[in-house]
Amino acid sequence: MRVVIAEDSVLLREGLTRLLTDRGHDVVAGVGDADALIKTITDLAARDALPDVVVADVRMPPTHTDEGVRAAVYLRSRHPDLGVLVLSQYVEEQYATELLAGSSRGVGYLLKDRVAEVREFVDAVVRVAEGGTALDPEVVAQLLGRSRKQDVLAGLTPREREVLGLMAEGRTNSAVARQLVVSDGAVEKHVSNIFLKLGLSPSDGDHRRVLAVLTYLNS
Amino acid sequence: MTMDHGQGYAYMERSGFRGDGVGRRRRLPAGLRAPVEARAWKEFGYTLLSLPIGITAFVFAVTMLSLGAGLLITFIGIPVLAAALAGCRGFGALERTRARALLDLDIAAPEPLRPRARGAFSVIGAVLKSGASWRHVLYSLLLMPWSIFSFVVAVAFWSYGWVMLTYPLWFWLFPLYGGQGGIQLYGDDNHRIYLDNPFEIGVTAATGLLVTLAAPWILRALTTVDRVLVAGLLGPSRLASRVVELESDRGVVVDTAAADLRRIERDLHDGAQARLVALAMDLGLAKEKLTEDPEAAARMVDEAHGEVKIALQELRDLARGIHPAVLTDRGLDAALSALAARCTVPVQVEVDLAARPAAAIEGIAYFTVSELLQNISKHSRATQGSVDVWRSDDRLMLQVIDNGAGGADVSAGSGLAGLAERLDAVDGILVVDSPQGGPTAVTAELPWRQG
Repeated sequence: MRVVIAEDSVLLREGLTRLLTDRGHDVVAGVGDADALIKTITDLAARDALPDVVVADVRMPPTHTDEGVRAAVYLRSRHPDLGVLVLSQYVEEQYATELLAGSSRGVGYLLKDRVAEVREFVDAVVRVAEGGTALDPEVVAQLLGRSRKQDVLAGLTPREREVLGLMAEGRTNSAVARQLVVSDGAVEKHVSNIFLKLGLSPSDGDHRRVLAVLTYLNS
Repeated sequence: MTMDHGQGYAYMERSGFRGDGVGRRRRLPAGLRAPVEARAWKEFGYTLLSLPIGITAFVFAVTMLSLGAGLLITFIGIPVLAAALAGCRGFGALERTRARALLDLDIAAPEPLRPRARGAFSVIGAVLKSGASWRHVLYSLLLMPWSIFSFVVAVAFWSYGWVMLTYPLWFWLFPLYGGQGGIQLYGDDNHRIYLDNPFEIGVTAATGLLVTLAAPWILRALTTVDRVLVAGLLGPSRLASRVVELESDRGVVVDTAAADLRRIERDLHDGAQARLVALAMDLGLAKEKLTEDPEAAARMVDEAHGEVKIALQELRDLARGIHPAVLTDRGLDAALSALAARCTVPVQVEVDLAARPAAAIEGIAYFTVSELLQNISKHSRATQGSVDVWRSDDRLMLQVIDNGAGGADVSAGSGLAGLAERLDAVDGILVVDSPQGGPTAVTAELPWRQG
């Protein structure tokens, strides 16, 4: 997997590089701000060497506000095949909504703290690189909390809500099963129950499933 | 023949005037320059305009006020009175503009009306209750008598002066007036005195010169009264001015507080928080490696240990930047000594205070010195410095001196300008004396409040 990292803190940039290299991934470039990120990706694309995924910090120079998100949205519109994982010190459901606008293919939004769980973090990067979704549990919690369909959500059993949350984070059935320590079959049953209760048509692909769930929660 | 003279004269005066104008500005003292300066003519214009304006305002104010007062028994009198007052306020705005244009007198608008609620009744109430409205009415009433007096005096001095000064020319152009030579100065049935011989003409011109020279000072005296009227009756009351000042101060305080919070958030985000994330990442990696590669894991734990110590140091520095514990515990002397110890330049600290000032003042003094010492570390290229703190009556004085390169930037937007603004917000003063080549002395004055 080929990765480009955009993070203004040198400490974290090097940490991320080491972490990914250590796991056998190829960090093509590391940059410190959004302009450099866009330029690097454009250059790589011109040489037909587009990376699989970009890992970008939300807050970078010069304004230290949301240039990471804006760069990510721009890159996703220019290169639909490029996975973009945005890291943030705080969870802002608004940023997630902006990132997910249009498609949830190859997009991720995680709290920076998640890098501590190295295995899960690298899994998330790989998932996004392969076109999947990785949403932070806190983002999902905010989405669930803010959704105007509380009455329908209240109809789910606690277990089903748990599965819905993990699904919204972008996990596959087997990952959900691992997390909840149940069988794959049990998860499949929960998933079809959830889709039934929410009135969504069941779909196969993991990211399309996520999209369906997120669209439902956001509408 | 006369025409020739006239043209010749006009030409002469134009060229002569131009020469005089340029020459006078260089050579002549203010007293002789005054009659041809723009200021005198503007003041003259102001006085001339005052008469028609004063009469109009007086008529308006008297008519409306008596109408309103007469109608007070019916309800309609109140809005009429309010309209009178509002009219006078509007007239005041015009007068302030006129004073600004012709007298170079910049008077701020009075405190705005603050009706308690929306709606006509509240506005009428606010107009009637506002002291500024009544001061405007007083101005409208006072302007007319004063303007009549000043108009007469100004016109008399101005026109007599110039006419008498140029009398020789008149006499030369029109030797005969009403069949007689010269202007009649005095006359009854028996005696008539005409100004027609060279001596009399000379005396007339000399008197004219004196009157012309005196006229600008008379005008200045007259318009001084106008200035007092405008400033005293059309400006904001002293209380309102102080409120505006305090509002601006409070704005600075709020802005400063917001900027401080942003700085702290930024420091946390870029410093300790980033370091802790890196630390968590290192420990996560070490945990993964623990079984397969214990040696690498040990190395990572070691690195993480180093990180955590740096993170602690950063948090400590940040906390000190918010409020240093030693300042609360031991006061300015100890806190400033600690600051000086961290400065890259040797700094001698002398604190001469019998008692401790209020905590807020102490905090501001501390951060002022802290910023000044940081400037010394960063920009001054000094080899030594000193900090002195003492009390002078009801002021707390700080002086920070270094022997560096000088030329400190005090322009707007610089750190020193920001500091001055923050001191101003608590009625303090910052004085920077920093010639190119040094040395630099920065003196700050804060109000003394007992702790």
